Amino acid sequence: MKARILVVDDDEALAEMIGIVLRNDGFDPVFCADGGQALDVFRSAKPDLVLLDLMLPGSDGIEVCRQIRGESDVPIVMLTAKSDTSDVVRGLESGADDYVPKPFKPAELVARVRARLRPGDQKAPETLRIADVTIDVAGHMVTRGGERISLTPLEFDLLVALARKPWQVFTRELLLEQVWGYRHAADTRLVNVHVQRLRSKIERDPEAPEVVLTVRGVGYKAGS
Amino acid sequence: MVSDIKQAPESPAGESGTDNPAATSDARHTGAGHPVPEHTDAHALNLPWLIERTRIWTRRALILALRVSRLVVTGLRHFRPGIRYLWRALLRRWRRSLEFRTVSMTLLLSIASFAVVGAYLSNQIANNLFQERLKQAESESRYYVKQVQDTFDGSQANDQSSVITLVYDTLKAVEGNGSVIQRRYVFEAMPEQTKPRNRWVESRASDQLTVRVIPPALRKAVQESGKDQYWASTEFPVGDQDHPGIAVGNKVTFNGTVYELYLLYDLDTAQQTLDEIQNVLWAGGAALVLMIGGIAWYVTRNVVSPVSHAAVVSEKLAAGQLQERMVVKGEDEVARLGASFNHMAASLQEQITQLATLSQMQQRFVSDVSHELRTPLTTVRMAAEVLYDARDDFDPINKRSAELLYNQVERFQSLLSDLLEISRFDAGAAVLDAEPTDIFQVVSHVIDGASPVAAEYGSEVRLTSRHKRIIVEMDARRIDRILRNLLLNAVEHGEGKPVHVSVAANHDAVAVSVRDFGIGMTAAEAARVFDRFWRADPARARTTGGSGLGLSIAAEDTKLHNGWLQAWGHKGSGSNFRLTLPLKKGGTIGKSPLQLEPADIRLPGAAPERQMLVLDAGEGAPEQDSATQDSVMPAPSEGTTSPARNLAEDDDAGTRGGATP
Repeated sequence: MKARILVVDDDEALAEMIGIVLRNDGFDPVFCADGGQALDVFRSAKPDLVLLDLMLPGSDGIEVCRQIRGESDVPIVMLTAKSDTSDVVRGLESGADDYVPKPFKPAELVARVRARLRPGDQKAPETLRIADVTIDVAGHMVTRGGERISLTPLEFDLLVALARKPWQVFTRELLLEQVWGYRHAADTRLVNVHVQRLRSKIERDPEAPEVVLTVRGVGYKAGS
Repeated sequence: MVSDIKQAPESPAGESGTDNPAATSDARHTGAGHPVPEHTDAHALNLPWLIERTRIWTRRALILALRVSRLVVTGLRHFRPGIRYLWRALLRRWRRSLEFRTVSMTLLLSIASFAVVGAYLSNQIANNLFQERLKQAESESRYYVKQVQDTFDGSQANDQSSVITLVYDTLKAVEGNGSVIQRRYVFEAMPEQTKPRNRWVESRASDQLTVRVIPPALRKAVQESGKDQYWASTEFPVGDQDHPGIAVGNKVTFNGTVYELYLLYDLDTAQQTLDEIQNVLWAGGAALVLMIGGIAWYVTRNVVSPVSHAAVVSEKLAAGQLQERMVVKGEDEVARLGASFNHMAASLQEQITQLATLSQMQQRFVSDVSHELRTPLTTVRMAAEVLYDARDDFDPINKRSAELLYNQVERFQSLLSDLLEISRFDAGAAVLDAEPTDIFQVVSHVIDGASPVAAEYGSEVRLTSRHKRIIVEMDARRIDRILRNLLLNAVEHGEGKPVHVSVAANHDAVAVSVRDFGIGMTAAEAARVFDRFWRADPARARTTGGSGLGLSIAAEDTKLHNGWLQAWGHKGSGSNFRLTLPLKKGGTIGKSPLQLEPADIRLPGAAPERQMLVLDAGEGAPEQDSATQDSVMPAPSEGTTSPARNLAEDDDAGTRGGATP
């Protein structure tokens, strides 16, 4: 089955070109040129992934990102022409899983899309624990004290990666490779922002984390 | 104490007036024995006594000085740090506070002027008191001496007891009536005269005084003169203390014997009056000085406080608080200063705000252009790549066109991103995103990244260092970019010869040098190599598609780190680029740990391994390069706001030290 990808971009030429590339690689692209209609198109098309331009007429990409994230865990990859720190971080904080800076190569875009669509690793029945958080890997479910915590697939992958090797300290580069699928070192802000988002969901006190610990100067590890 | 001897009737009032008072005024203080004779005859007469007193007092003063100095020395040893601190604080205060300086100057000057005026007044008063008393003493003495002489002359007494009674009674009468003795006398037969038979009285004095209280100079004057009256200042015991006084000497004759008759006038009351006046002067002077100090403080404060207020406000302005203004009250000079200061601040604020707005607009423009250009470029790039991927299906003309399109779009893209990067520096929008990072991690990453290009050129890239791990507070992304640029440049111009990368650190800096043995460059070229769009050889084909901005961006990145980026080159011997960074963000570099000019210039071509150009921190030779001085760029670093950046374990030690092409 072809994966359906919603391309939200106001630049028709770019959207069409992206469509050509995606179709070429066996995806099923759906287009939306207006941020105001993005949510409606999203609801009707039910895509497997959203490619979202940050600067859109109507409502801006960050707002669209927040709206989609409000009702779905579907992976969101931002297309951004602004590689300035604040814009990227703002986009990631509003719920995007990854971003591709313009101008990108077709292969780069496809690699990002595939990485996000990658079916989760072999979902053998497996239960992991960090601190008081229980992770049911196969059921894609995280609970704390019987209470279910909703995580996006990316956050789930991040947590599982940490929980599988609680003895190991993960550098940001290692996490980028394992969770995001980057083969070369990329922007470590991705890791920072998502760890913060993950903490805000699973930690009792995100200021004093117990589940995802920071190892100063190195990276992150699972709590015990 | 003898201060003067004169024949009173003949002495001009003015002269005695100027000479006497000083002696009297301090009679109490120095009267114990510092005779300051002012007349030569008195001096001569007083000499032995004077020498004796001087000797004693010199010895006493010496002992006292020794003791004081010993005390001061031990005290200083104990309190030296405290005293030094106090002294420094005072000096600093003196330098820095106009108020302190003015008040202390006023105090010092008013104390000095009060001392002068006080001394003059006290002198004047003492003089007047003394003169008055002296005049009285002289006229009284004349009167009483005449009385005594008359009594003696008219006496009929010729037996011993009546003579003695007569003499005693006469002299007793001189002392005056009442319980308090008004004047004392000393009655003494002149020595060295033939003693008549009926001389029964040798000497006589009131109050157990002896002739020793009479200054020898006065005695001599009286003895040697005729009938004149003389006087001198002296001291004599009254009760158990010495009082200052005036001795007036005359000769009287009784029964053929010449006697010296001295009348002593007690100046104690005058001295007391003088002391009281002096006390009042002291107290008044002190109070006045304090008041003047207070007034000076108040006035200075009034004048200085607006000035220091202005200083505070201008410091705040300089620190960027542009809305800061002075308080303006009244219409005086200070108010005018405040008003014009505020005017200046307002126009400054306006201009700075304008500049800030301009800069913001520039940044917005750059950002917008960035977006506007990048979106179509993305489309073009993707399209070019699709065409490029399908080029094998095209006929040769279209195929070549697709290749050209693809390559030039790549070049256009790198040029655009370099331009945007440069404009970001120019707009001041570049911020340092510094984090403690191991420089070897970045260097290894750069070498790994450059290895395909190096392999293409047939160059071997070698990393040499004595260190295993150097943690530097830096923006890893920017340092990565700088080093990648230097390394790719070296490979590109290295003509397939090895490229040496050296890393070294000292206590405040880390240096990375990239040395190639290729075509090299002249000193003049080395000086221009960081200029924008500058090319060593315009005719030379740009095979790696550089924009000509790479080294300029590297220089800007280095400047952001407060570091140095320098180039050395020699035609035919290759070139050496050295990046020096402070270990701590915002730190300064004293000396680069690596030498810029390599020690192996004379060896063009591939250098054997043992001739690595690694020089360690302590032993680095002094800088010799003149051509590269102008490419030294110390610059202020900017503040950063940053999320975390690359931080990794030191787990790649195995890749270091050896060749890693």
